[in-house]
Amino acid sequence: MRKMGRKAAERLEFGIFAAPVLICVLLAFYIPFVMSMLYSLTDWNGISKKITFVGLDNFRQIFSGDATFASASWFTVKFTILFIVLSNVIAIVLAVLLDQKLRTSSLLRAAFFVPYILSLIIVGFIWKFIFSQGFQSLANATGWPIWTWSWLGEPRLAFISVLLVSVWQSIGFYIVIYIAGLQAIPGELQEAATVDGAGPMRRFFSITLPLLAPSVTIAVFMALTNSIKVFDVIMSLTGGGPGGSTISVAFDVYRETFQNNLFGYGTAKALVLFVVVLIITVVQLTYFKRREVEQ
Amino acid sequence: MQARKTSLAALEIVLIVVALVFIFPIILVGYNSLKTFGEVMINVMALPRHLTFENYSYVWKSINYPRLFLNNVVVTAIGVAGIVFISSIGAYKLARTNTKLSGIIYFLCIVPMLIPFQSIMVTLLKLAQTLHLANSDWGLGIQYWGLGAPMALFIYHGFVKGVPRELDESGTIDGASGFSLFFRIVFPLLKPVTATIIVIDVMWIWNDFLLPLLMVNGSPSTKTLTLAAYTFVGQYNTDWQYTMTAVVMTVLPSIIVFILLQKHIVKGVTAGAVKG
Repeated sequence: MRKMGRKAAERLEFGIFAAPVLICVLLAFYIPFVMSMLYSLTDWNGISKKITFVGLDNFRQIFSGDATFASASWFTVKFTILFIVLSNVIAIVLAVLLDQKLRTSSLLRAAFFVPYILSLIIVGFIWKFIFSQGFQSLANATGWPIWTWSWLGEPRLAFISVLLVSVWQSIGFYIVIYIAGLQAIPGELQEAATVDGAGPMRRFFSITLPLLAPSVTIAVFMALTNSIKVFDVIMSLTGGGPGGSTISVAFDVYRETFQNNLFGYGTAKALVLFVVVLIITVVQLTYFKRREVEQ
Repeated sequence: MQARKTSLAALEIVLIVVALVFIFPIILVGYNSLKTFGEVMINVMALPRHLTFENYSYVWKSINYPRLFLNNVVVTAIGVAGIVFISSIGAYKLARTNTKLSGIIYFLCIVPMLIPFQSIMVTLLKLAQTLHLANSDWGLGIQYWGLGAPMALFIYHGFVKGVPRELDESGTIDGASGFSLFFRIVFPLLKPVTATIIVIDVMWIWNDFLLPLLMVNGSPSTKTLTLAAYTFVGQYNTDWQYTMTAVVMTVLPSIIVFILLQKHIVKGVTAGAVKG
């Protein structure tokens, strides 16, 4: 009898401890997610009482006749790939340099980290000021044509601007991940290689880089999950322009839903985004898992 | 040896120059906020001839800065406290219970890490309106509980598994149980990981834009700092002396906190990424 009482008490305690987090996650993710699936099959505009079931029409429309979605997807793919490559390459180089015995090492690391603590919206405004006013005065001072280019007004340059500003904001994050990885590499390995006559380049490619693999996995994963959802910088820096050339998929979902008032259609796009992110994440995780097992 | 020292010194100088160029945009915005409009237009690069704080008093009043700051503190505090509370107790119980149900709940709670926010934001707004969580700062704070829980739960869960079970059992012998056992014995042991989660979530919620935009953009009295800066810059557009002042006022708290807690912040962010 006492035993049963204890069992019930344990169950009750399990419920009390586990229920809050489960309820919150259900409310924040699962219920909205199921609602999204339902709304994506309708033509609801977000306000009207009348909601018509349209089946898979929204999805058909997305894949057949939506030029914005196609260009937004292309933008996001280009952006994601270039962001991953640029931020990781630059971060590895800077991390290796900052990991040397420098007197100002911690100060330098802090300097590169500062933009990462700022909100991306604000970062977009800072750079809007730099691109217009800052470059103008650099042009006056140097006379170089590069400063007079329309960095936010010409589609190709606007893409580069969004990319560079995003890298600028988050590079400090990737640098600290790589510095942590570098510090886990035993120093004896480097010394032994130096004794064997390996130069700095050789040491970097034969020792440092292979042993940095776990950090690369983490950093690439983080870069991917962050860049595929790029939104804030675009919102404040270009607003999707010029001519819609810097609209990302995430931005397109927002625009479609809240500016064009197409709730049903917007949620359908949001679900497409979800499926793509899911597939890429699963592929990446299994790929890296397998590679780690092989090692 | 001598050659190595010289090349290190050269590297150091190069890196200092690179770092200065790198953070120059922030410095530039900083000193331009102390200029008049005319001075900004003549030459952005030049230092202000005499410091004017008039921009600050103008922006301070027109966006009602103290109010916004307080709103940000309320949202962040409610959000982070809730995430830490529900995730730590949840992770502790789930990691210590070896049943199928426990495994299923854990799985259900961490899978949403894969759901992009944009995929659910529309219907989240709908749901928040139904539950009366929209249009208020405490309601906004509460919404972060569920949104932040998957990652926090994941990090806590991994950590609790590394804490020896004997430690909780020694508490049971003392007669402590339930919440008192948890908060007296277990929670203090989780301190390092709690610090990590606090750092990551404070940075996230303090700077977040899209969720506040959807939830509390309706009234000036509920806006958060970033959101108000966004609206302000939209209105004043090319009045750079004002917009850049608003930018400085928005980022200054973050920069001050970063200077004070730099080591902890960098450590927390790194630990969070490596574990997450």
